Amino acid sequence: MAVEMFEFTATVVGIFISFCMYTTLYGKPNPIRSWAEYSYLAAGTGVSVVIGLWYIWNTAIVNIQAGDLILIASLILGVMMLFRVYPKYNYVSRLPIAFSVGVQLALSLRTIIFTNFLRQINATIVKLWTGVPMEFLYRFTIAVSVITILSFFLYTMEITGPLLYSSKIGEYLMYLGFGAIFAQTFMGRLGLFVGYMENITTPAWKQPYTVVAAIICLIAAIIFDKTGLGEKLSAG
Amino acid sequence: MSEEGFDLFKWMATYDKRWIYVFLFIVVIGPLIRPLGMPISVSGLTKDYYDNINSLTEGDIVFDSWNMEFSGYMELKPGVLATHKIFIEKGVKLCIAFGHFEGVALPPVVFKELKSYMDQYDYKEFEDYIIIGYVIPNEAAVAALAQDFHGVVRVDWKGQPIAGTFLDEIEDAGDFALINDYTTGLATTFQIRHMVLTYGTPMAVNSIGVSVPGHLANLDAGLITSLLSSTRGGAELEYLIGQPGPGLKSMDAFTFGHYMLIVFIIIGNIGHYGWSRRAAHRDRTGIQ
Repeated sequence: MAVEMFEFTATVVGIFISFCMYTTLYGKPNPIRSWAEYSYLAAGTGVSVVIGLWYIWNTAIVNIQAGDLILIASLILGVMMLFRVYPKYNYVSRLPIAFSVGVQLALSLRTIIFTNFLRQINATIVKLWTGVPMEFLYRFTIAVSVITILSFFLYTMEITGPLLYSSKIGEYLMYLGFGAIFAQTFMGRLGLFVGYMENITTPAWKQPYTVVAAIICLIAAIIFDKTGLGEKLSAG
Repeated sequence: MSEEGFDLFKWMATYDKRWIYVFLFIVVIGPLIRPLGMPISVSGLTKDYYDNINSLTEGDIVFDSWNMEFSGYMELKPGVLATHKIFIEKGVKLCIAFGHFEGVALPPVVFKELKSYMDQYDYKEFEDYIIIGYVIPNEAAVAALAQDFHGVVRVDWKGQPIAGTFLDEIEDAGDFALINDYTTGLATTFQIRHMVLTYGTPMAVNSIGVSVPGHLANLDAGLITSLLSSTRGGAELEYLIGQPGPGLKSMDAFTFGHYMLIVFIIIGNIGHYGWSRRAAHRDRTGIQ
């Protein structure tokens, strides 16, 4: 299958830069990692500035042109925010910051009480037996976990008698939960890694470049470490 | 040989951790280059997500929230592609928005993968899908968009006016048949608060693995209607629609990666237990 020159170059450079970043796992500083890291930072900053301007154009300027004049006030607040970088007048930026914090708080408070508290509590206090044994098991597990774990967090009274057993069970249930969350986190991180590896090994023409880039970067990391050049040449 | 001799337990507890990375590379890249095709099962979560997406009918308008950056896309790719194949096949209209600035680089990558499928069903930009771009960067933007769609978005991501398109039918978030969110980040909670809670629009989520426990609580509370979990969920969806893709191909690597973790946990624990017991024995008896 023919591959376009641009796609080929972008893919090969991308694969090489990725493995340069992975040399951080070697545990010693080296210049190829610094180069890759700074390239990423520069590219990321450039893209975010352009997309930010694009966002302002599409959602503010276009809408002002269409007659939504209140957005002029938003633009003025936005410009005031820029004074943050000028120490003499950086107090000017406090007003838009206060405004945006206030708006954010108001928007969150209106709904967070429902999404994070009431709906979650409603979902916990449910009928245990619905006629389906597995559903009973799930609901029973949730009910027991919630009650026993809550009893673990009773701080204003002496934990004795049945409460002691309940809090102990709650403690062990939390350990089980932490284990499950760790496994889920590992699966998630592995998912990011496998997804990227799949991307740089498919289609098959990418495979030799992937393997060669991995080997070159590993050898370079070892050489920079053994010769002592890594510390000297890497940034930061 | 050292003075104390080789202590297997000590080695198991203190070996160079960089070997873990080397083995992880090998066990992941090996099966990707030479897939074994190990069997997978389809979970109830994925089945529900499939039913949810499949219940849409031709002409339904979906708020397609690409709330992910490049790294997240790598994990969500199987789910993104398989879900869009269902949308294209059913003739669902898509309003595509980004929640992350890297999202603007994704459409060429995604639509290149779907090109043959789009050609087959004559699925075209502006007629069947419109990319409104990076318009949901924060909670205020999501709330504004949900309340007055055309007050916020008048042009697509290329600056073309959206008036006169299928998006004319949308006044607020309640006019969408579904919100479908591919997520690595915050905009999901904003959409739940301001689109689902306020307007009652159903929402399906395709989430990266680390966020799945949090979304399971939302699913349990009825805030979202279905959940597709990470690459694994994407692979299951590929299986359900009969279109093998990157997800099913990645499953061998996933399986071996998980086995590897289990093996290293066992090695580390045996080593630590044996080594610390011997150290205690040495301290007690003075015998090396």
